[in-house]
Amino acid sequence: MAKKEKSIARKISGKKILSLGALIFSVAVFLFVTLEISRLLEARSSGKKVQEIKLKVEQKNTWSHSQISPLHRIPLMDEFNQKIIPAVPNTLPFSSRNTCGPCHDYDQISHGTHFNLKNRAASDRRTEPFVLFDEKAGLQLPISFQGYPGLWSPEELGLNSWQFLNLFGRNLPGGGLGEPTEKDITPDSRWNVSGKLEINCLGCHNKSYLQDHSEWAKQIMRQNFRWAATAASGLGEVPGMASRLHSTWSVIDGPNPDDHEWAVVPEVRYDQNLFDSKNNAVLNLGQPEDRNCLACHTVTARKAASRAEVEQDVHSAAGLRCVDCHRNDLSHEMIRGYEGQKLAHSNLKAEDYTCAGCHLGQNPEKGGFGFTGKLGAPRPAHKGIPKIHFERLSCTVCHSGLLPKKELQEVYTSRSNRLGIFGKADWTSEYPVIVEPVYVREKDGKIYPERMMWPAFWAEKKGQELIPLQVEEVLKAAPEVFNLKENVSAKLSALGPLAEEGFYPAVVISDFLFEPNADASLNAKRLDQSPLSGRSGEKKFLLVQIKGEKTMPLLPVFNPDEAPPEVEDKILNSLQALKALSNGQEPVFIVGKYVYKITEGYISKEEKPGEPAAEPGIFWLVDGKFEPWLSEYEIRTLAALGDSPEILTEEQVKMVLKKMAEIRPGHQVVYVASGLVFSLNKNGQLETSKHPAAEPIYWPLAHNVRPVQEALGKNGCTDCHSPGSNIFFGQVKAVSPLKSERREEKLGADFMGTGQLFQFLFGLTFLVRPYFKLLLAACVLLLGLVITLVLIKITGQITKLNSRDSDRRIGEK
Amino acid sequence: MFFGITSFLLILSLNLVLTFERFLRNQPEQKRNFTIENLRAYVRWIVSWKKSFLKLECWDKSLDYVIAWGRKNFKGWTVWVFYALGLSYIYLALSGFLFAWFIPRGLFGFPLLLHVAAGALFAVSLTFILFLKGRDYFLEENLASSQGESQRLFYCPGVGKSFPKIYLQIASFWCFILAGFFLIASTLGSMLPYFNYPAQIFFFNVHRWSALVSVLAACLAVDVIIVE
Repeated sequence: MAKKEKSIARKISGKKILSLGALIFSVAVFLFVTLEISRLLEARSSGKKVQEIKLKVEQKNTWSHSQISPLHRIPLMDEFNQKIIPAVPNTLPFSSRNTCGPCHDYDQISHGTHFNLKNRAASDRRTEPFVLFDEKAGLQLPISFQGYPGLWSPEELGLNSWQFLNLFGRNLPGGGLGEPTEKDITPDSRWNVSGKLEINCLGCHNKSYLQDHSEWAKQIMRQNFRWAATAASGLGEVPGMASRLHSTWSVIDGPNPDDHEWAVVPEVRYDQNLFDSKNNAVLNLGQPEDRNCLACHTVTARKAASRAEVEQDVHSAAGLRCVDCHRNDLSHEMIRGYEGQKLAHSNLKAEDYTCAGCHLGQNPEKGGFGFTGKLGAPRPAHKGIPKIHFERLSCTVCHSGLLPKKELQEVYTSRSNRLGIFGKADWTSEYPVIVEPVYVREKDGKIYPERMMWPAFWAEKKGQELIPLQVEEVLKAAPEVFNLKENVSAKLSALGPLAEEGFYPAVVISDFLFEPNADASLNAKRLDQSPLSGRSGEKKFLLVQIKGEKTMPLLPVFNPDEAPPEVEDKILNSLQALKALSNGQEPVFIVGKYVYKITEGYISKEEKPGEPAAEPGIFWLVDGKFEPWLSEYEIRTLAALGDSPEILTEEQVKMVLKKMAEIRPGHQVVYVASGLVFSLNKNGQLETSKHPAAEPIYWPLAHNVRPVQEALGKNGCTDCHSPGSNIFFGQVKAVSPLKSERREEKLGADFMGTGQLFQFLFGLTFLVRPYFKLLLAACVLLLGLVITLVLIKITGQITKLNSRDSDRRIGEK
Repeated sequence: MFFGITSFLLILSLNLVLTFERFLRNQPEQKRNFTIENLRAYVRWIVSWKKSFLKLECWDKSLDYVIAWGRKNFKGWTVWVFYALGLSYIYLALSGFLFAWFIPRGLFGFPLLLHVAAGALFAVSLTFILFLKGRDYFLEENLASSQGESQRLFYCPGVGKSFPKIYLQIASFWCFILAGFFLIASTLGSMLPYFNYPAQIFFFNVHRWSALVSVLAACLAVDVIIVE
């Protein structure tokens, strides 16, 4: 019995164990599958790499010693490391980390000069800053992560990585700031929508004619960060704007089937012709071409009316590429070409690629050897130039940048003025105004040619410190000041119905014609002869309509007693448009003794009180009085600004400062511009003072290098040393968005620490220098002649002594 | 650095030698030896002599002496050439060497401007002096007559013998002229648009080393020609 019971127990136990085993196995399989799927999904949503499906490709950290770049027939991988099949709809853009990274160490490259903007150490040689600019507020603030004096750090201005990238990403090649850490994910950032801005390898290395910097800039503007490199490379087209998507959208959400008009999800439409039958992209990659560098590094004189007027850098003209001097190894730490550059990651020798490194060849510090420099680079003779010049001046002083003139010359730079972005819109901005060449003595005691700009910003003065204000706050404080041109433009557009077909309204104020532009602002044009010039002073503006060069009065002249209905319709439409713009004011059209206005949506005609109007006109009816269509303030400001590039007048600054004083009682708000600090005094008038934050900032320039024939000193010492020398006595006037007579003015010599009086006297000596040389030559000649005679005489005496000795010896014998 | 130290030591040594010789010359014949006692006495003598220059009176006397020497040795307007040479040379030597010794940047600014201007005066006056006085320090007959007139001797402490002073006068004069020639030639060379950078460095070195020779020659000349 006991045995039976035992065997039953065993049987039950075996079944139980079997069932338990099956259960455990099922649970384990369930857990494994669930975890794996969730891990994959998580990786897909967070963009982490999935180890299992990573391509196993050998990293190429060493050079194969072949001097050619291979044709890159490679699979494009997306951010989830999935191979891109171009024919599949809604395919993701390629990820350079996953596409290029398997062969080229992405992490090592990410320490390179171009991708390490935030963390790279300050060097001895400053670079062009990024300039925060606002066209309305008159803001131009130089920014740098490196903490150079006079430059503001993004942190000080409250700019996080997301904002910085949106502002300046058009001229950044991705990586660094574009690949945010946990700290960079701030409430206002939209990284989950935009994706990361990985290093855009193709931005530099793509030799395809399809590579397009303009497309890159546009994609950045649309916050299409993850799509930007693909779109710019020409591998595919990317419609849609991440900036319009909801902030909760994520790439795994895919396209939005309900919206094909506005919030269109970016997608890539790959050009299948650029792929082979195995869906590998065929890429022509190699060392960067100049056009890729110049997309972000162009500097052009503003005076150049066309590209035909611009001279190339002499090295480019000789066939050298940018990367022939500005080299890098895998570390992508660029050789900048200045003396004393210290490389932290690169194995190259920076001194080999300086001016002296190439042109003086070996042992440049000793003047070099041989007849030529590296690869036959012309070896400079520098005949007649005293050696002090080589100790105190950089090579670029004489050989680089624009030739100095009486005043500094304005230049556009790609980075600051948004050059090289082509499309329907005009991207080039007039501000910030950067000028060159100013010659500055740097810490090493040498003088360098530099570019310069004067900061302009609104700030709160706390003690001696100036804290820049957020531009949004200032714009909000005084919209009527900052939106003046937009307001007038809107008023003009409202008068559109009054214009003949093909014509559009404009207004003449003073000697200028103002017409609305595509940016809803105004363009100003100076008139050879203003129609207002012959009129009485009461007429301060004239409404006209224009078409090309044709100009005629805008307001219709008709007999109001027999007014044509189509004219009345036009007047009604214009008055309605104007009313929509006004704040409770009523627009009226006056012709003769009648006043047209809107009554219950219809045009009505009433008798005008008082004298009949001599000319038709548009007015605002305020408290029973007719106020002019443009206010005195608008007329005064537009007349003052005219067609000049300045943005603000002193009156506007005063108005803003008063508004800010009301908004921020007890705080002193100032405007920094033109090298001065503008503030309100106790009487409410503008006064100026000096402050270190208002001082200009400058950074060394190196290009364009001019040929020897155009080097300073080619025409002799007086190129620089004369009483009227442009280098020493050229005017350095502050340029800013403020139109004011009050501005900082200096002379070139002030930046060199050489002293104006000394340079003037020294320059004067060069007027008599030719006679001085003649005098010395005469003295040398005479002295030499006498010394030669003396030597001959001595030689003769010695010879005579010798002959006497020998005669005596012969005699003795 | 090398030039600075070398030039400083050479100028100092020569002046010590010359003043020591002058000290020994005032000693009795039998005491003209290089002994510790003499050295001590020399140090006392030179210190008191240097101290005397702290008084304005001493400078006045020295200046009077030089002016009188000039008038005695140069006839008429030519004395102004001597004065011009002296003044320009003192400024050139002081500005050149003080900057070379104490200012790492070297000569610059207004002192350089004056240095250039003084250089022109020096070049012209040196040429004049050569034509005015060259014969005195070369022709045999003049040499013989001057030797005959005064048996001035120069005691050489190292050798322990006295030599006719005229030899040193001739040597210092012609060294001064020769160094002056190289000074002017190197200045001119560096300003002419025919010489490249290595040549500029060469001219610079010629200028500074010939300046040293010139100063040494001038010190010797002051001792053996001007100061009795």
